[in-house]
Amino acid sequence: MDTGFLRVLFNPGRFFEARMQDEPSLKVPALIALVVGLIGAVSAALTANLIVGILPAEAQAFGVLMVGFSVVGGVIGGFLGWIVYGFVFYLVSMVFKGQGDLKRTLEFTGYGFLPQVFGGIIGAVLSYQLLSGLTIPTATAPEEIQAVTENLTSVLVTDPLAQVAGLVSTLFLIWSANIWIFGMKYARNLSTRDAALTVGIPVGLFILYTLITLAGWL
Amino acid sequence: MKPLYLVVITLLCAVAALAGAASAAPADVAVTSSSLDPPVLMKGDTGTLTVVIQNNGAETVAIRSARLYGSGVVPLSDSYASVGEIGAGNSKTFTFTVRADGGEGTFYPQFVLDFRDDGSLRHPVPVQVENTALSASVVGKPDAFAAGRTADITVRVGNPRPNAVSGVQVVPQGTNFTVTPSIAFVGGLAPDGSGTVVFNLTPAVETDVTFQVVWRNGINTHTADLVLPVAFGEDKRQADPVITNVEVTPEPGGYRIVGDVMNAGLESARSVLVTPGAPATPTDPFRVYVVGTLDPDDISSFEVTFKADVGTTEIPLVVEYRDDDGNRYTVTRPVDLGGTTAAPLDEREGEFPVAGIVVVVLVALGIAGAIYYSWRRT
Repeated sequence: MDTGFLRVLFNPGRFFEARMQDEPSLKVPALIALVVGLIGAVSAALTANLIVGILPAEAQAFGVLMVGFSVVGGVIGGFLGWIVYGFVFYLVSMVFKGQGDLKRTLEFTGYGFLPQVFGGIIGAVLSYQLLSGLTIPTATAPEEIQAVTENLTSVLVTDPLAQVAGLVSTLFLIWSANIWIFGMKYARNLSTRDAALTVGIPVGLFILYTLITLAGWL
Repeated sequence: MKPLYLVVITLLCAVAALAGAASAAPADVAVTSSSLDPPVLMKGDTGTLTVVIQNNGAETVAIRSARLYGSGVVPLSDSYASVGEIGAGNSKTFTFTVRADGGEGTFYPQFVLDFRDDGSLRHPVPVQVENTALSASVVGKPDAFAAGRTADITVRVGNPRPNAVSGVQVVPQGTNFTVTPSIAFVGGLAPDGSGTVVFNLTPAVETDVTFQVVWRNGINTHTADLVLPVAFGEDKRQADPVITNVEVTPEPGGYRIVGDVMNAGLESARSVLVTPGAPATPTDPFRVYVVGTLDPDDISSFEVTFKADVGTTEIPLVVEYRDDDGNRYTVTRPVDLGGTTAAPLDEREGEFPVAGIVVVVLVALGIAGAIYYSWRRT
């Protein structure tokens, strides 16, 4: 059963093997990165809107700008994540004598971002639930805004809902990593072991950092 | 001797005897003493004037009447219209009821004794009238009164009159207060004497309390009023709970405030309670913190938990305490939430929500299945 690029979710080996027969194309990966970015932008807008509530009335105009920047930043973040992961995998795979061009690596890295769409949707819902239930006082002085922001960060990090969102995000990252292993195996012509190391080292470090943050050790 | 001579001599002796007896009587009757009860009257008082006469002669004296003519005082009783005889060496007492209708001073009403045969005796009797009343003064009271707070009021009653008074009592009068005792009895007061009574006064509102001093001068009742204005104010010695070292901590479901409460007053604060006031809603586990008794300069920590609506920047901390009489007082101290805190509204109690765990488990199972499936198909 050919279900298009969605096959990458459950049968990434066959999907990438088939993709290797065609010329590299970044259209679909870019579309995936855009969707991930848009979903991230929603979460960013919710957070920015919350912070705008802290600002005094005379600074609300600045708050609108802040929300706008957050949306743009969220979209850019989707693409940025795709590019960064692609370059990191490309560089790490060079250690294992990987062969294959960068465009193919970016293409397959982009496909591996597909689980982040679902993770992003669940994360956005959890973020909305978390942020909509917060009591945010209005601050006037800059030092008060700073204090509220610090306090807000503390609450967001320690809230159980935020921890759930972090765990869900990590799980979907693991799913993406699984896809990337198959992707690097074909894109960089690596053994399964080297592909797993190429993906596992940077992603593992990132997951470790995320878990430590969620546990409040940082 | 001829019988005619004997008759003449006998008649002469009888005439001589009769003539001698009649001429000796008025000069030998005198007023020996007079007294007034009470010794000093006040204007309008009724008193009893007693006059004692004595026959110092050797013969009986016949008295027709005894009267009193007023001067500054009005005789209320009838005159002695028919007195009779007073034997040699005997004394007789006359009593008149008089009323002081004049002003102050010493008056001399005339006591007049009319003899049956001839002549009369007039004797001025001194009657002193002085209107000086008993004096009353508050010699002990608190620095300030407070609604519902019992205060000790000490009243001293003095007698500046020249005579003793009896049945002295002090009666508090007025409304909007309770007092114990309702009547304080002092008793008799000698000249220049004084007596002290203590009242426990509990005012409900600001009012005037009249301490009425009631006494008797003889059979006459008199009063004097002492007005004590009861105005509420701050007692300089009262307990003064002060909240310091306040720390506001947001937590899931609301806020937690910890701090210290200290008694900066000079009296003990009893049954001290610390609670968050509206618009805050107290929540478990520390809806209210019972501190107990705080003696002067004592300090105690407290802890309260509550939740507040969105946009709440300040909530009051309410300190309730009682004085030694059980009167309740409250002190409010605002605590700023703005600029320092933010907290989730819904109560997640800091625990992992069950729905969240379910989501994580389901996602983990789904992803594990996808990964397992992807490796099996390879």
